[in-house]
Amino acid sequence: MKILIIEDEPSLRELMERSLRKEQHVVETARTYAEAEDKLAVYAYDCVLLDIMLPDGDGLRLLGELKSSGRKEAVIIISARDSLEDRIRGLEDGADDYLPKPFHLAELSARIRSVARRTMGGGRSGITLGNVTVEPESFRASVGGRELPLLKKEFDILSYFMQRPGHVIDKAVLAEAVWGDHVDQADNFNFVYSQMKNLRRKLEEAGATIEIKAVYGFGYKLVEN
Amino acid sequence: MKLIYRIALRLSLLLLPLMAVWAVIFYFTMVREINDEADDALENYSEVLILRILGGERLPDASDGSNNSWSVTEVSEEYAAGHPAISYHDTEVYIPEKRETEPARVLVTIFPDRDGKWRELRVAMPTFEKEDLQATVLRWVVILYLLLLATAVGTTLWVFRKSMQPLYALLDWLDGYKPGGRAAPVPNSSDISEFRRLSEAAQQAVDRFENMLEQQKQFIGNASHELQTPLAVLQGRLEYMVDNAGLSEEMLAEASRMQSTLSRIIRLNRTLLLLAKIENGQFPERRDMDIVALIREQEEMYAEIYAAKNIRCDVRLPESFMLRINESLASVLVSNLLKNAWVHSPEGGSIGISLEGRTLDISNDGGSPLDAGRIFDRFYKSGDREGSTGLGLALVRAAADCSGISVSYDFSGGRHHFRAEF
Repeated sequence: MKILIIEDEPSLRELMERSLRKEQHVVETARTYAEAEDKLAVYAYDCVLLDIMLPDGDGLRLLGELKSSGRKEAVIIISARDSLEDRIRGLEDGADDYLPKPFHLAELSARIRSVARRTMGGGRSGITLGNVTVEPESFRASVGGRELPLLKKEFDILSYFMQRPGHVIDKAVLAEAVWGDHVDQADNFNFVYSQMKNLRRKLEEAGATIEIKAVYGFGYKLVEN
Repeated sequence: MKLIYRIALRLSLLLLPLMAVWAVIFYFTMVREINDEADDALENYSEVLILRILGGERLPDASDGSNNSWSVTEVSEEYAAGHPAISYHDTEVYIPEKRETEPARVLVTIFPDRDGKWRELRVAMPTFEKEDLQATVLRWVVILYLLLLATAVGTTLWVFRKSMQPLYALLDWLDGYKPGGRAAPVPNSSDISEFRRLSEAAQQAVDRFENMLEQQKQFIGNASHELQTPLAVLQGRLEYMVDNAGLSEEMLAEASRMQSTLSRIIRLNRTLLLLAKIENGQFPERRDMDIVALIREQEEMYAEIYAAKNIRCDVRLPESFMLRINESLASVLVSNLLKNAWVHSPEGGSIGISLEGRTLDISNDGGSPLDAGRIFDRFYKSGDREGSTGLGLALVRAAADCSGISVSYDFSGGRHHFRAEF
């Protein structure tokens, strides 16, 4: 995918660029509103990552211009503001997603993937990796075309990893993503381990070609065998 | 002590010696005046007697109904020379008609008669009884004192209340003042310049305070926002390293610890933002919510997350309890109270959740009572729990304040009780 990153903070911009290039995306960057306007006038992109607080202009205006001129770029707003109103405003103005800072890189790539699926018409079939497919909308998972019966939390975990293949996920980050903010003070992650154990057993028994590997001392990582 | 009572007390105490001094002066002045009158009368009487004695006329009878008595004695020349011509003194005389002794004023005068012999005339006139007078004066002084006191205090109180009206209005206003609330302006309808100045000073102080509070809120909000980008960079770099650097197991464990510390900063930052938002009243929409359903849902979740602690949970909830409240705030309130109970319960302890009437009571085992006055403050921590933001109960209070719910803490029967009155 061809992605334009509009972000004024050099370190974050460089990091996003490097990380997305590693995932085989074509990445361009813009530091300012003016630079972004120039690039968008000349090139077309699949996805625009837009920081709405730019030193020389309001990112939302850029979004408005893009949408009013009928451009097809998917736009993901990246913002330090994460209140509901900010999100609603961004989405109402035509953004495809809203990612509050600070975010995980894995999260960023998952959002880009998800936006791409929606805008490029591949959304119906869900996410497929190896012989495993999950459909987040209908909460169904299948291995090699056969349905895989999963409990709610097991499905959430599988779907979380399917959207972040190859990324090492910290167990606490996973717990927070699946169980919500409520886990933030948990001393022990046994509840994650037990769900994970069941999920891995079910995947193995169904003959899945993907595996959620334990990364000792840190968490887990989904790999294709 | 109220100012008005203090004034009344001081007035009474001050009036007491003043009245005493006044009574003494009054008494002695009156006695002198009466003696003066009596002395004049005695002098006249004695002159009449002397003239009659000198003229050889018949002297008046001792008992002529005037209660005056007199006697004439002959004295030697030496005695006459050694005594003043006229002297007055007080004494007691026996009045035969009344058969009692009475206080009397006596005039003693020495004069030569026609034959050149010295004679001493004693004329006595009954006067008032000093003790009677003293008692009367004392009685009236007491009565007068009380009357004067009642009048003075009564008048003072009335005048005081009337004049101090603006002060009481200001005090009432201050009692009702809540920082950060949309308060009515300080009452300032008095035309007394001191009170106007006082009200103006209070208004200025409140304005300044509100202003600072607002700035402080904004500062926390802005600082938290500014932190988001560097935190994103830090988190991204850490992840990139874990994903791509091929770290050893030991280094991965280290990275995991860094990640958990970083997560804690991010959470703290996010919570501060949430707190600032709640305090700024950014959750206005309300709808009818079933609080019981919310509690049950959260309770199940915490029971799962903290399953390893083997906590017994005693839930006594009605079928449902509808409340008009903002959804996010309700969730913040319930979830932080429940989380608090689970986090601070010892292993194998018990948690009680009950909703009776309009009171939600969440209790858990605990060793010693906590400081009820500070427990809902930001960053008040009973122990050094790693991972705790110290903001959970501050969030509870902020959410409750915003929703018109009162929350309280007490310690009874070896358990911490947190209550919310809906």
